[in-house]
Amino acid sequence: MKLLAESYQYFLENQSRFWQALGQHLSLSLTALAISVLVGVPLGIWIARRARVAQAVINGFGALRLVPSLAILFLALPYLGTGFRPALFALVILAFPPVIINTYAGIRNVDLAVVEAAFGMGMQPNQVLRQIELPIALPAVIAGIRTAAVEVIASATLAAFIGGGGLGDFITRGFAVYEPRIMLVGAIPVALLALFSEGLLGGIQRIFSVPAA
Amino acid sequence: MNMPRIYRLLVLGLLATLILAACGQASTGGTAATAPAAPATSAPAATAAPEVTAAAPAATAAPEATAAPEATAAAAPTAATAATAAPAAGGASGTIKVGSKDFTEEFIVGELYAQVLEHAGFKVDRKINLGGTPIAQAALVNGDIDLYPEYTSTGLLTVLKKDPIKDPKEILSTVKKEYETQFKLTWLDASPFNDTNGLAVTQATADKYGLKTYSDLAAKASELRFGGPAEFAEREDGIKGLQKTYGGFVPKELKQLGTGPLRYDALKNGDIDVVVVFTTDARIAADKLVVLQDDKTFYPIYNIAPVVRQDTLAANPMIADALNKLAPLLTSDVITGLNAQVDIDGKEYAAVAKDFLDKSGLLK
Repeated sequence: MKLLAESYQYFLENQSRFWQALGQHLSLSLTALAISVLVGVPLGIWIARRARVAQAVINGFGALRLVPSLAILFLALPYLGTGFRPALFALVILAFPPVIINTYAGIRNVDLAVVEAAFGMGMQPNQVLRQIELPIALPAVIAGIRTAAVEVIASATLAAFIGGGGLGDFITRGFAVYEPRIMLVGAIPVALLALFSEGLLGGIQRIFSVPAA
Repeated sequence: MNMPRIYRLLVLGLLATLILAACGQASTGGTAATAPAAPATSAPAATAAPEVTAAAPAATAAPEATAAPEATAAAAPTAATAATAAPAAGGASGTIKVGSKDFTEEFIVGELYAQVLEHAGFKVDRKINLGGTPIAQAALVNGDIDLYPEYTSTGLLTVLKKDPIKDPKEILSTVKKEYETQFKLTWLDASPFNDTNGLAVTQATADKYGLKTYSDLAAKASELRFGGPAEFAEREDGIKGLQKTYGGFVPKELKQLGTGPLRYDALKNGDIDVVVVFTTDARIAADKLVVLQDDKTFYPIYNIAPVVRQDTLAANPMIADALNKLAPLLTSDVITGLNAQVDIDGKEYAAVAKDFLDKSGLLK
């Protein structure tokens, strides 16, 4: 517990740097998440109707997922320099798979009978998508975004390794001088942020969930 | 039975707090660092899995994504906890464990020590690239290693937390006496080269902002982005010390770029304006950088020397003879040349060390 008190003390002494790091962390995470949603959700919808393309896309992103984010980060360095850009690149790659896979699964899991009924009523594919499939699939899509958000927030700490700033700076700094109290000033807020986004998006997901009959 | 999610989250949060409290009571405070990160991020992943079946691969990968930042936080406490579990039997004559810190010059000098000792008939176990000063010091005190190359003023300022001393011989005798009293460690002979911290810019930046000395830089710092090793932000001989001596020195940004070539690349790419250098780095000359003048001589002299466990030395006094013969050979020109062979020419540090020792006539 003394460690927590020391961490808090360190936080109080370094507030401006902390808020700067927090801002960097949030901007990196939110930008990565935004890109992955803006590109991933439409992509997930597009592949939902095309089974073979879907297979290729999902396997491709699954394979990309296996490369550790830290490796992607360092591989991107010669092309993207240091700092924000390579970190963003690595985090977007990390965030894509859950968003795409969950969007795809969400749309595929819409009850076929409902879709057929909609077509039977004379709706155009476009209308079926917008008025039937998407609203029903929305909780799944949000679940994907939730998973992506938590991973991105946690992994944004890696940006500290390449001058990208963020809360990871405190972790690397604490490690370099072997002071756990400094590491906690980075680690605890990251954990809290992840928990918070999980709770927030979970709540949003519940709002959009179709209540069980 | 399905608990509503909010209750699940509360229970997990409570568990996380309990684990944190338990770790806080533990003797090594470092373990607490991994506890909050682990339960917090794996918990949401676990709750996400039941929701969407296709998200299963995504959920299991979430803990892995945190593994990388955790691994670095875990490495420090596990080094300490593993060391307390292992017997401090560094004195077993025959096998000497040689460690080193985490940058090129340390790799080379650590390897030089190792090869010299091997030539003297010892069996050597190498642990190069352990980490920063505190890690190496902890490893030495715990018996994970028997010796490693350390800089006199680093020992004085960072480990002993004393004020800087001007005279290099006095620095060595002070650290030797204090280490023997406090840690049962001792220092052997120091090498002549001085590798201190420096602040460097490109010629273009120096011209643009009129920078010749640290005092110039202190005034203009708020317009410039600095980049350096992570410890520069925290150490007494880092930005904090500079602020105390010169005033000013509040950079627009202070980026953490490690102890390797990354910080030099960042300067080249224009991501930073001022780079924190080690004055014997090869990249200074190669990148044609201008090292500013420390006009208030804030930075003391840092000479490298082996720091050895006293019990190991007592059991193997030949260590001192062997390493003290090496010490005077490492001059500024020599070490900068060796650094260049590794950093610029891309040679392996072990081969560079062997080549130097062969040519020096030490291994006869």
